[in-house]
Amino acid sequence: MLSVWIFLRHDAFLYTNPVGEVVSVKETINQKTTDEHNNNDVIKNQRLSVRLLNKNHGYLKIENSYAESQVITNRYRIGDQLLLENVDGTMHILSLKRDVWVGTLAVLLIILLIVYGKWRSSRWLLLSVLVNLVLFGLALLIDIHDKNANVLLIFSVLSILFATISLLLVLGKTLQMLLTLLATLLTTIFTIIILMIVLKITHNVGVHFETMSYVTQVPSSLFMAQTVIGVLGAVMDESSDIVAMQFGMRRENNQRQFSEYWDAGMSVGRDIMGTLINVLFMIFMAETLPMVFLMLRNGNNWSYIMDQIMNLGILQSVVSAIGIVLAIPVTSIIVGLVVTRKRVTK
Amino acid sequence: MNSISVLIIILLMLMLFVGRWQGLKVFLGLIFNFVAIFTMIILINWQFNVYVVIAVISVIILAIAIYLGADSSLVTNRAFKTSLIVVGLLMLLTIMMQYFGQFQGFTTENSEELEGLSMTVGLNFNNIAMAVMVISVLGAVAEAAMAIVADLNEVLERTPDMTSSSLYAHSRIIGEQILGTAINTLFFGVLGSNLPLLIWFTRLKYSLAMFINAKLLAAEIVTMLLGMLGILLSIWVASWLTVHEHMRQKRLKITDERNI
Repeated sequence: MLSVWIFLRHDAFLYTNPVGEVVSVKETINQKTTDEHNNNDVIKNQRLSVRLLNKNHGYLKIENSYAESQVITNRYRIGDQLLLENVDGTMHILSLKRDVWVGTLAVLLIILLIVYGKWRSSRWLLLSVLVNLVLFGLALLIDIHDKNANVLLIFSVLSILFATISLLLVLGKTLQMLLTLLATLLTTIFTIIILMIVLKITHNVGVHFETMSYVTQVPSSLFMAQTVIGVLGAVMDESSDIVAMQFGMRRENNQRQFSEYWDAGMSVGRDIMGTLINVLFMIFMAETLPMVFLMLRNGNNWSYIMDQIMNLGILQSVVSAIGIVLAIPVTSIIVGLVVTRKRVTK
Repeated sequence: MNSISVLIIILLMLMLFVGRWQGLKVFLGLIFNFVAIFTMIILINWQFNVYVVIAVISVIILAIAIYLGADSSLVTNRAFKTSLIVVGLLMLLTIMMQYFGQFQGFTTENSEELEGLSMTVGLNFNNIAMAVMVISVLGAVAEAAMAIVADLNEVLERTPDMTSSSLYAHSRIIGEQILGTAINTLFFGVLGSNLPLLIWFTRLKYSLAMFINAKLLAAEIVTMLLGMLGILLSIWVASWLTVHEHMRQKRLKITDERNI
């Protein structure tokens, strides 16, 4: 881990942009400001002396000013490495070089995973994450290259691939895997259908797709694509738990009735749905926080913030929760039917 | 009628149908957690000490997520204890990452949304970046802890006389399965919530250098990594606690029998 850290601290030669390290900081002007909402802040000017790490090894001076709240400006400290850009002969700061910390954390995770699961089992997990990332990258490229691309379609196909690959790697090619996959996909489809119907009937009242950030395509289908991917992992998690338990029941005694499988499936699902819903809820709500604070400080009232900023976060949490709850009966029915039917044909 | 309220009603009905009484508890838990996040926002906005606020609210959110999620008090207590330890560790790691990585605030990518807003708001966005990271991982930690503690408990109920080494072996097998599915849940959750940002980055042909180093994306990657670490640590800590407490109980039982 230390060696990765050292390497990433010295990987400036890999960059095509100039990279520099701050060697001294002089803070010059202190200026107190009060904005129209009576927020007091201090703006400071920094005179940075930066040593270039790739290219020529010269020094240069860069001016930087930042507000103490650092909403959009940044304060730099001695030792910080910066990505620079040369525009018409003057250097300016593109970004803090963060790969050192992101990379070190990633390596820490991988080392701990290997220590915990030994290489044998961690390998599959890492492989599935890696394969999924590559697939995701491909889907992004397809989405961008085709101007009329249907986002929802592309990412739905991607989700099917995601689910198939992850489950294949974990469970292998078995009946258990097939049923889990079927339950996952059906649940996701039902969830999206419910969302579409409700939006259609209520004419999108109270939903503000236009508040979405970084929009480059039709926001509503982008939102659906987001939801499909977001809910997929949780539903997969849940169905595989339920299916695994029901298959355990079958191994113990394969003369059970449909109702037994149904009851058992529902009872397992009931126990895990709460915490699973919370996983996605926390992710989606946390995402909205920075903007909420900024709007609050800019004198907006709560009802406006709830309506505009947290709107899509809440919607996504609710839709995902519907998916997670729906997965329980869907999985219980599928496994119950298939398992009891199979016995009859035998 | 408002689309979101219709969906919330559908959710409530589904929960009642599937979970009955427990479904209602889960639904109430979600509302309480929403209120907790609300409270956190207000307290941070009033400039209370941010470390204290995040710590207290995290404990409350974990308690709600765990105690309103399941019934068995043995399972919930142990899962709660595990989550507290893990979130404590993660908070230290988050403080460190934020100090060095500086993931706070917005960038020029957001300039459209930021138009007309004051940027000198007198609220340290360092702290808010930290709150975002900690809150994001809470759910994942609680989920992993609950899953492994519940499963191990079931194993113990079936065979109460298990030796510590075979219990530990069981915890390994179950832990690996939970690790796989829990990491997938988090991975897809984060990927889904960042889809627009990722499309945006690719579309504008960001160089690889910016992909790794740019604030917005790096913050998301770090959040995801912290969450995965949280899941792994929960499984570890929970297995250890279960084996440890089981052994202690067994020893107590043996001494009891001797006394009789």
